[in-house]
Amino acid sequence: MADYAKPLPEITAESKPFWDACARHELLVQKCRACGTVQYYPRGVCAACWSADVEWTPSAGRGRVYTFTVTYRTQARGFRDELPYVLAWIELEEGVQVMSNIVAVDPAKVAVGLPVRVTFDDVKEGFSIPKFTAA
Amino acid sequence: MATKTLRDKYCIVGVGETEYSRGSGRTTRAMAVEAVRKAILDAGLRASDVDGMLDYQGGDSTFAPHVAPDLGIRLNFYMDVVGGGSSTEALVGLAMGAIETGMCNTVAIYRSMNGYSEFRIGGTGARAAQPVRGMDLAQVPFGMRSAGQTFAFTFMRHMHEYGTTSEQVAHVKVAHSKHASQNPKAVQKERVTVQDVVGSRWIVKPLHLLDCCLETDNATCLIVTSAERARDLRARPIYVMGVAGRVSKPRVDFHWAHGPISRVAGYYAKDIVFGQAGIRPEDVHVTGSYDAFTFTTMLQLEEYGFCKKGEGGAYVSSGIIELGGKRPNNTSGGHLCEGYTHGMSMVIENVRQLRGTVDDTCPGAAEGKHTHDYSVGKCRQVKDAEITMNLGWAMPATGSALIMRR
Repeated sequence: MADYAKPLPEITAESKPFWDACARHELLVQKCRACGTVQYYPRGVCAACWSADVEWTPSAGRGRVYTFTVTYRTQARGFRDELPYVLAWIELEEGVQVMSNIVAVDPAKVAVGLPVRVTFDDVKEGFSIPKFTAA
Repeated sequence: MATKTLRDKYCIVGVGETEYSRGSGRTTRAMAVEAVRKAILDAGLRASDVDGMLDYQGGDSTFAPHVAPDLGIRLNFYMDVVGGGSSTEALVGLAMGAIETGMCNTVAIYRSMNGYSEFRIGGTGARAAQPVRGMDLAQVPFGMRSAGQTFAFTFMRHMHEYGTTSEQVAHVKVAHSKHASQNPKAVQKERVTVQDVVGSRWIVKPLHLLDCCLETDNATCLIVTSAERARDLRARPIYVMGVAGRVSKPRVDFHWAHGPISRVAGYYAKDIVFGQAGIRPEDVHVTGSYDAFTFTTMLQLEEYGFCKKGEGGAYVSSGIIELGGKRPNNTSGGHLCEGYTHGMSMVIENVRQLRGTVDDTCPGAAEGKHTHDYSVGKCRQVKDAEITMNLGWAMPATGSALIMRR
């Protein structure tokens, strides 16, 4: 955990509640109080109706693989030691898509439509990254 | 609503380029100066005739205020634009706009990059030192840094929805390698087979090594001026019929969530560019569809209506896009084989196709005399090419287009 070599995100005012929740192993999405639209990733306004009255709401963390790739060559720091790895867009039950890795699944077994659930990678003290694995 | 158009009022009058290499041993400044100088000479102009300059880059090149002085050019207009693919066509439109307003008369557009020896795609070389910002939450912590990783989701989904295969899109590389074998400038001149492509190693599944373009050191330049000015210049004027610049899907980021994911920006650009030109896809003789990867060519040809949506795989594997076929694509070999220039080389190639002076090995090439023998090492001039179309790609969600005629 101490020598985590992969890049960490720059936490912004809009994304801080998301990362704070990840540290508690909760996956949050934004929901507009004015029009009900659910959105991911965090923004300062509802992109559908421009309302600034956007609240954080928990996601069940379940969904399906919408599309994916398997990386065999990369120079990305920390990732070149884990080749091959899977990048995927996961369609959550709440109707939004999130970007993540599919972990603990043979890359050859990943397919469009695969049911997945969230799991958290505790990368350092107070910081966890949401990943997905077979449900 | 009627489309506003400047059809046939502006021309490309000069083109220039440096060697396509993997190790230029020069600065982007020196290369840019060479490409701009060659384009000015190609047009039969002098430094004092050029008073506008546009360039595009991503923190990897030299700005116009350092290129113009090396050539003794005094500028009435210049702008350095951030961007890669899709910029060429967009900047042709901006140049036309700058001239139309009276800000300047003649614009040089250049792109200069050491895309192999200095700034490589995917965060190697000098780019590795650049800070991690932007879509951090969505991409970088999960190991997504390269264009192949970003774009290939769309191809994977296209395969899922339409049954498109790796073998079908491999034909794009096969066709472009055929074209590059007639191009003395090409970095990779060997013809390849479908089996060579699908048998090459994975880079980002579903992309094999030979599905990916060739990182290259190179500079390129186009000169844009009014049709009126173009009439008494050296080269045959090539007229701009229509242009669309960086047209985007409803969301540029997270475009898949406002999809469909397998739809690309040409879906929105086609009405603008065909509307201005007053033609339809079947009127186009040669295409230059951006081939950062084999499948980007396929997706764009499909979206602009050269075939039906979902039938791009069948279209690119039918022989239509090869020299000798009905509508050849990227006759220079494109980014997959000639070299990667962020789009400008494919516009240069189409200008030469329309002039009839493609620089192949035909003995009379410079005078426009071609054999139209498309066997290895011979001709790459398309017979009687009158209308060409360039399809510029920044990413699935953003693209540009340019229709030209002779």
